[in-house]
Amino acid sequence: MVFPLLSGASAHKFYVSITKIDFVEKQESLQITLKIFTDDIEDALQANYNPSLILKRKNEAPAVDASLENYLLQKLKIAVNGNEVNLNYLGKEYETDMLVAYIEVAGIKELNTVTVENKILMEIFSDQQNIIHVKTPSIRRSLILDRDEPGGKLNFN
Amino acid sequence: MNIFKTLFILGLFVITGAAIAQEKSETQERKSGHYNNNRFKQLYQEFSTPNMFRTASGAPGPNYYQQQADYVMDIELDDKNKKLSGFETITYTNNSPDVLEYLWVQLDQNVRSKNSKTPLISPSSAAPANLTNRFVNKYLKEPFDGGFNIVEVNDTKGQPLPYIINQTMMRIDMPKELNPSEKFSFSIKWWYNINDHVNQGGRSGYETFSDGNRGYVIAQFYPRMAVYNDVEGWQNSQFWGRDEFALPFGNFEVNITVPADHILDATGQLQNRKQIFSKEMMRRYETAKKSFDKPVLIVTQAEAEAASKNFSTAKRTWKFKAENVRDYAFATSRKYMWDMMAVKMGSGSVMAVSLYPPEANPLWEDWSTRAVASTLKTFSRMTFDYPYPKAISVSAKNQGMEYPMICWNYGRPNLDGSISERTKFGMISVIIHEVGHNYFPMIVNSDERQWTWMDEGLNTFTQYVAEQDFAETYPEAIAPHKKYPSRRGPAKKIVDYMAGEQSQLAPIMTKGLNTYNFGANAYAKPATALNILRETIMGRELFDFAFKTYANRWMFKHPTPEDFFRTMEDASAIDLDWFWREWFYTTNFVDIGVKEVKQFFVSSKMTSEVKEMLAARGISEIEMPPMVYLIDENSEDFEESMRNTKLSDIETLNEYILNNIPVEERSNLKSPNYFYAISFEKPGGIPMPILAKYTYSDGSSEEVKYPAQIWRKNDEVVRKVIASEKKLVSIEIDPEEETADIDISNNMWPKRNTVSAFEKFKNKKDSK
Repeated sequence: MVFPLLSGASAHKFYVSITKIDFVEKQESLQITLKIFTDDIEDALQANYNPSLILKRKNEAPAVDASLENYLLQKLKIAVNGNEVNLNYLGKEYETDMLVAYIEVAGIKELNTVTVENKILMEIFSDQQNIIHVKTPSIRRSLILDRDEPGGKLNFN
Repeated sequence: MNIFKTLFILGLFVITGAAIAQEKSETQERKSGHYNNNRFKQLYQEFSTPNMFRTASGAPGPNYYQQQADYVMDIELDDKNKKLSGFETITYTNNSPDVLEYLWVQLDQNVRSKNSKTPLISPSSAAPANLTNRFVNKYLKEPFDGGFNIVEVNDTKGQPLPYIINQTMMRIDMPKELNPSEKFSFSIKWWYNINDHVNQGGRSGYETFSDGNRGYVIAQFYPRMAVYNDVEGWQNSQFWGRDEFALPFGNFEVNITVPADHILDATGQLQNRKQIFSKEMMRRYETAKKSFDKPVLIVTQAEAEAASKNFSTAKRTWKFKAENVRDYAFATSRKYMWDMMAVKMGSGSVMAVSLYPPEANPLWEDWSTRAVASTLKTFSRMTFDYPYPKAISVSAKNQGMEYPMICWNYGRPNLDGSISERTKFGMISVIIHEVGHNYFPMIVNSDERQWTWMDEGLNTFTQYVAEQDFAETYPEAIAPHKKYPSRRGPAKKIVDYMAGEQSQLAPIMTKGLNTYNFGANAYAKPATALNILRETIMGRELFDFAFKTYANRWMFKHPTPEDFFRTMEDASAIDLDWFWREWFYTTNFVDIGVKEVKQFFVSSKMTSEVKEMLAARGISEIEMPPMVYLIDENSEDFEESMRNTKLSDIETLNEYILNNIPVEERSNLKSPNYFYAISFEKPGGIPMPILAKYTYSDGSSEEVKYPAQIWRKNDEVVRKVIASEKKLVSIEIDPEEETADIDISNNMWPKRNTVSAFEKFKNKKDSK
């Protein structure tokens, strides 16, 4: 058996995304890398924006990037040391069956706590899990977010 | 000098730090003892004791047996009412040495019955926003009733047999016990409502096309015998919908009645071809049997489109026979086009076949049957010649599911006829995967209900090999890629999963139903583990022979995980218990790095460290034989001048060479001037070979593979000394990323800031 390309009707597919958040102290920056199954995110963009949006490596409509940015920034919220921060969407690329999106948060001098809410894909897949890995030069912490608990806080003190 | 002193002095060469450390630790409190926790311990506790059924070599034993179930079935499709009904006679042969009091029959369709317990074990939550159609299905509609309706269960004389249904299992109580080598025949009459697999899910069912026609892909549709064997007794673990099947082999005679204008194909050989085929179809079929390079259409697009318009009420019966198969499935529709090509197999040939609606073109006509043919070639090379007469790929929306000789596959063009790369590679990959399942588990018949990885893992591994082969055979299919973009197989691709949150990981040796991430756990991780074994641990020659031995030993039999593990060792003379333990029985991960590099210099002058050791044992310096000393550049004995010391400056060494090595051999001696002690660390649990690439000042480099057993006595840090004629400038561990090392930040000496994918992307963007 393999998991179908599409459709929330199948009970068999495992819906998961991975968000890596690296605190790069020297650059005072949070480097955020999101890995999402391309077919899943295509479903979400079609449902939320335009049913004819097609994600592809070549000759992709500019509307894809615009709606992807809009979608990701709507669904992903991050607070550092208690204050919500601005997410700067850099762009995306494709890696086999995954879409990899890059987002940066500038001006982070120190990291005591990170609060992450990641609701990506949860509105279309009831069993969507979004895994968050936060890494500082010395500490790694993880969160598993789902519909019942779409956000969490990590301490780095 | 007494013998003990000599031993001690000789010992100086091998023991240094360790001896001192031992003395120190004796002053500390005694630690308690422990079990053998060595990662290289053999798997005696995990494996069951070999016996007459299954040998220690991993082969079937002299008393190995398996049951047989033969079926004669009449099936009828009611297209209008979307119902399937059947009458089947099962003849069950007890080849076991055991007396059986009852038989267990699987009623898989009951997973869709109104009172199925499957929805009850699936946690649900209240979604803040719901698509209207899903909301209606979930909360407003009565659940669909797609369970079996068992009309009767009779013996051969037509007398009812008592039976009990427990969810997806039915126990048949025989009039008397079934003794070894006896047969028992009985019949079951049944029907059920066919599910819409697109909207209701499931791996069998129908899809409705825009013209009102349906395509039926029908499987696990008849009550099927459960497996009885020496490891499980009856494998009557319930079907909850995800973990697949365990089925005995048998022979099938199946008559399938469908609307007269349907095109149908199924497991087995068509018996009444002349009655069904027109003369023109027959002529095309004969051409296809000789066409080894391209598919020949038996039913063209125009013919399929014409047939789709008449909803015939007449019926037609297709008759099939299949030998030595574990299951039976068929696909039928008015919409189907049909093409075939021949594939050379041993001294004969078999047929690669595709069934697809016009909606699947342009795409299926080009690649489906070619992908089937290419898969049969690769899998046969890796295992055994394909023993069945044909392999069919059927186009079915959202599906990817395998049965003997037939499978359902997704991937269709967009409505405007355009084909995305994702659709094309998705379609080719799923066909390779599902056709590959003919080998694992349809022929090498492992227990899918218990061990998902045994068929999915082995199949996904071989799929990776087959995808690479496909790309070589059809470079035009994958252009502009040079290699097939495989999703699973390469070590690097499993890193995200293995580095994941431990609470969400399960060992591969877990029942499929209970794993968290089904795809990564049962498909990708075992496939990657096998690929690493093949490429990095065993080498292709030894791996391929052992893998082939396993496939041939268990062809048309029921292997267990241990039969696989044992055969891979038995056929290769490589002890892999550590590998199975770490990769298959734990959720450990790989992380190996360079911890420290120390440079040493040669000297003939005794160091203070050695002097202290001699004094502690009451040995005088004069008693020492001629020695060469290695001095750490950070030790107090180190002097700057030593940096320029050459081996030729060491008197003790020169003297030894003059006295012991003949002149003509001296020119063969190496003259290393650089000595390094390298500490390798292993923060990850899995011991893997250390793949070290040493690069020298002249730009040359050397790769050394230290076998995994280097970790057998120290699970955290191991040291190696390198003696070189050139200055060492860098060390890189696993330069080709072939071990699934989850953290490569410690893989370089001197530490180099690796540019993350994030920074690469950002730099690329900035430079635009």
